[in-house]
Amino acid sequence: MTSATARTILICSGKGGVGKTTLTANLGIALARLGHPVAVLDADFGLRNLDLLLGLENRIVYTAQEVLSESCRLEQALVRHKQEPNLSLLPAGNPRMLEWLTPEDMQKIVAQLAERFDYVLIDAPAGVEQGFRNAAAAAREAIVVTNPEVSAVRDADRVIGLLHSMEISPVQLVLNRVRPQMMANQEMLSVDEITEMLALPLLGLVLEDQQVIVSTNRGEPLTLGDVASPAAKGYRNIARRLDGENVPLLDPSKERRGLRARLLNKLRQTTGLF
Amino acid sequence: MAAALIPAPDPRLPHLLRLPPARGAASLLEEVRQALGEQETVGPLRGELILLAGDWRLPLPELRAVQALLEPLGLALSRVCSELPETRVAAAALGLIAEAPAQATAASAGEGEPGLRVHRGTLRSGEHLQGEGSLLLLGDLNPGARISAVGDILVWGRLRGVAHAGCQGDEAARIVALQLRPLQLRIADAVARGPQERPAPGLAEQARLVDGVIRIDPAEPVCPPLERPMRLRTSLGLNLPRRPGLP
Repeated sequence: MTSATARTILICSGKGGVGKTTLTANLGIALARLGHPVAVLDADFGLRNLDLLLGLENRIVYTAQEVLSESCRLEQALVRHKQEPNLSLLPAGNPRMLEWLTPEDMQKIVAQLAERFDYVLIDAPAGVEQGFRNAAAAAREAIVVTNPEVSAVRDADRVIGLLHSMEISPVQLVLNRVRPQMMANQEMLSVDEITEMLALPLLGLVLEDQQVIVSTNRGEPLTLGDVASPAAKGYRNIARRLDGENVPLLDPSKERRGLRARLLNKLRQTTGLF
Repeated sequence: MAAALIPAPDPRLPHLLRLPPARGAASLLEEVRQALGEQETVGPLRGELILLAGDWRLPLPELRAVQALLEPLGLALSRVCSELPETRVAAAALGLIAEAPAQATAASAGEGEPGLRVHRGTLRSGEHLQGEGSLLLLGDLNPGARISAVGDILVWGRLRGVAHAGCQGDEAARIVALQLRPLQLRIADAVARGPQERPAPGLAEQARLVDGVIRIDPAEPVCPPLERPMRLRTSLGLNLPRRPGLP
């Protein structure tokens, strides 16, 4: 299905809005900065926005649709990132592709990408319907993103069941939008509760961070710069772990920030300095 | 061996459509058409049909195609019995009852009371495991998942979903789990919400029906007898509170 070397990784969640696309963009940049050629594929044909997050919307000429219909070559459709040339985006075609796209089509595209890149990250649509199944058909591994919320965890559980039945392995977990303070006060599901329920290896935690919203709106993923944002650190660590490096997991109970750190952070957000 | 359509002996029972082993068989639709073609000479059939899919890998479109072939004959596909989890997932996605073979053969052959069925692996949200006898789940039952059995339910893991023991009315059925934290428990016709508080760690618990109310106690240190005669209730719904809180 794919070449022996490339890792084809599906990024999915079941529930919408938990941070699949944000993770795909940031992980793509972070892996590219580790020196790997990386392709990110937007498999969310209905509601595509990976191009927006990467700030590449206005550079799209061809899409996966033209590649499949062979009206252009793959190289022509790939959009190389401005600041991080190791990263390329294959944009989603128009939403009407959903009507005819088959799992075989996705496998064909991903196989072509796998010949040229070390990592192929596939941004899956929310839900467990055909769009998700198409995307999953082309991947060997998967990362399930979830938030410390009951509904997100429940949907992740359902998705994990489907991934297992599709023989995708390994399936790893990323816990996004973690608020250490709320976890400490037991107002939020704890990391242990979630990993115990989902029974997956935890690939990483990403702390809740307002800068994610800023970076999304600007179309500049956080991992692109060297900002000391807690979320960016989480994304970078995930990339390093995915790459085989042994990076210790963050302990949310030690992340309860003191007054000074919070003030500094506030200052950083308001002024945009350092 | 070709595909065979086995008409039901009794109009209340479903018909069976058995596929041959996938290896060496013709294409799915050819096999099904052939089996149905033979039937046309006997006369029209109507009613429910169980597909015994064996080791066929049947994704959603193929199952839909089979349904389309059956529909003109007045046959409604109600249940798919397959060895492959993919086929069962596809069947479940179509809203059909999906099950593993051991269960269906025991049920269709009517070999008296089937014994214990073992399922290995965690049941995740959206999954539903059913058993004709008693069920032993080696793994967790997650919230959103369901398990139901005609006999007892034994969970070697954490029970956090919905469990229904004695689902055909056996009031002596019990539910045992290493950790019992259910959303809801049902035994025969009684229903109870799970307790709010967490159970004491390291204590296997069991739920039984005591005077029409579901009670949770520490598990008895004996294995429930599998060959227990079914104790079916004679009068329905008497003295049975529909939603008693747990003690």
